[in-house]
Amino acid sequence: MVRLITHNLLACHVKGCTSNNFPLQFKDVQIELREAEFNPDFLRNFMPRIEWKALVDAARQLGDTSLPEEQPEMVDDEFLQKLHHVLLEVHVEEGAMVCPNCNHSYPISNGIPNMLLAEHEIG
Amino acid sequence: MLYLLVFAQAHADFRIPELQSVSELYGFHIGLLENADPSRPFMVVELEEEMYARLLARRCILVKAVCEFYARGATYDEVHERNRACRSQWERYVPDTSFKFVVSAYNHSIPQRRQRDVVESFSYMDFLGKIDMKSPEITMVVHEEYDDKHGTTREKHEGDGAFREVFFGRLIEEGSARPLMKKFDVKKRVFYGNTSMEAEISLLMANQTLASPGKLIYDPFVGTGSMTYTTAHFGAMVFGSDIDGRQMRGREKRPGIIRAAAQYGVDQRIVDLCTFDVTRNPWRCGGLFDAIITDPPYGVRAGAKRLGRKNRRAKDEDESRSRPFQPSERPDDQPYIPPTRPYELSALASDLVLLARYMLKPGGRLVFFLPTVTEEYAELDLQTFLCEGMEVVANSLQDFGSWGRRLITIRKATTQQFPPPAFDPDKNVLSESDLTHVPAHKDFRQKYFEGFKKGKLGD
Ligand SMILES: C[S@@+](CC[C@H](N)C(=O)[O-])C[C@H]1O[C@@H](n2cnc3c(N)ncnc32)[C@H](O)[C@@H]1O
Ligand SMILES: [Zn+2]
Repeated sequence: MVRLITHNLLACHVKGCTSNNFPLQFKDVQIELREAEFNPDFLRNFMPRIEWKALVDAARQLGDTSLPEEQPEMVDDEFLQKLHHVLLEVHVEEGAMVCPNCNHSYPISNGIPNMLLAEHEIG
Repeated sequence: MLYLLVFAQAHADFRIPELQSVSELYGFHIGLLENADPSRPFMVVELEEEMYARLLARRCILVKAVCEFYARGATYDEVHERNRACRSQWERYVPDTSFKFVVSAYNHSIPQRRQRDVVESFSYMDFLGKIDMKSPEITMVVHEEYDDKHGTTREKHEGDGAFREVFFGRLIEEGSARPLMKKFDVKKRVFYGNTSMEAEISLLMANQTLASPGKLIYDPFVGTGSMTYTTAHFGAMVFGSDIDGRQMRGREKRPGIIRAAAQYGVDQRIVDLCTFDVTRNPWRCGGLFDAIITDPPYGVRAGAKRLGRKNRRAKDEDESRSRPFQPSERPDDQPYIPPTRPYELSALASDLVLLARYMLKPGGRLVFFLPTVTEEYAELDLQTFLCEGMEVVANSLQDFGSWGRRLITIRKATTQQFPPPAFDPDKNVLSESDLTHVPAHKDFRQKYFEGFKKGKLGD
């Protein structure tokens, strides 16, 4: 998995890596598209938490250009459908997420990202 | 209006919290009577509408049936007198409603003959509709409550009629949430492990979170995912994380939690699973979740000083005799050697509450199990892990004798923003001088392995 909703919430947490540590960059990814149930309430509740630019960039990196550059003020059904697709239906199955600041690579296998740090990377 | 609730014979301490959570979830008030005693199998409550009674029957795991309440009494004479007095409540069924009577008892079985007598004794109600044992329009229920005969066995009908109280009412709806216990039975799940939580408790926990569509819920010690299935079943989207990827994955390519969730038709509601130590977590911000639901580890700390990869390899070699070799480069599905630094339970509990205060939305709930020593437990124990803005909503004991575990429900009762917890590794084990009161759950693991011997712990 690693859906884009999750990607939008994870930052590099290596010791001392506190700026420019989000968003992580996808690398060598394998993607699967899987339909998910449309849940407008969930999307509306989640919207205030989204880092919009990070989401748009990640989607583009994975080849989806459906979202507008700016987060729209008017939230209609058509927009929610697009948001739904980008946040919940794009799954990164394999690959890695790399920190733009310290280059730490977090591997993804069978959809589960490994965010564990090694001993020298923690406080 | 008064309604009679019939409880399943289990988890008495969880009954009222569950009723209150479900009523809060649906936004109605449930009025408990002054003498409400949750240890008894029948409870009369006040609700504004019959629909609310139905909602309780459809969502509460511990409710077997809900009835319109007519009368109760220590004798049948009392019951009949009171039932006559509330004639206006059942009068509309007199002219032509098909009906049946069901007479049953708690902790006892009533001989057929007397069941018939009991039914006859209600003949003054003069129901003119036809008796229909198969599909009546209404079912009148009589419940006799007998005291528990703790441990002693009784002849089948011994003490017949020596009940504590009788309850009379009209059945509204049988509980339909309770059968979910079968659906979520761990043994029938395609993926489970030795940490899996039993179905009934996973369902009760999900109800304490107020899980419903539109919500986002998180289990930071997700293991084999037992509580993700039940919360997702009630409509929530769920995140899980664990320090040990293999707990979540199992043996196949497709992660075990996803496979089990698919079995229940909720795999799309598992937002994602991540491998990390929650005390070293990568969450970008707080205020994300409507609830945190979890069964924390109470053994060994995985966290403050995790073993690095090098150490892990070296250790793996030692263990290669007992474990099959896994030719994988992926650290999180290699044999996992639990780090040995202890994470003492009272420190973990404080950290968890601080984490919840950071990660929850205002009004969100933290629902978790706290294992504790039954005899030493004191109300004050909870104060040792509460912090500003977090308040206890419910605290239910599951009693295993010398020890037990308490399901604690805490609400974030503040809109103020708080920083993430420090997870200070030097506070790994709270020393007694940190605590003005030493809770019974402190050093739980050690006490557990020492068999809860009374008195001071040896150092
Ligand atoms: C009691 S089990 C939870 C079981 C789970 N409810 C289930 O259904 O299987 C505790 C889990 O916490 C994990 N754990 C222990 N220390 C951790 C840490 N520091 N961070 C994250 N997970 C941890 C363990 O790997 C274990 O899976
Ligand atoms: Zn970094």
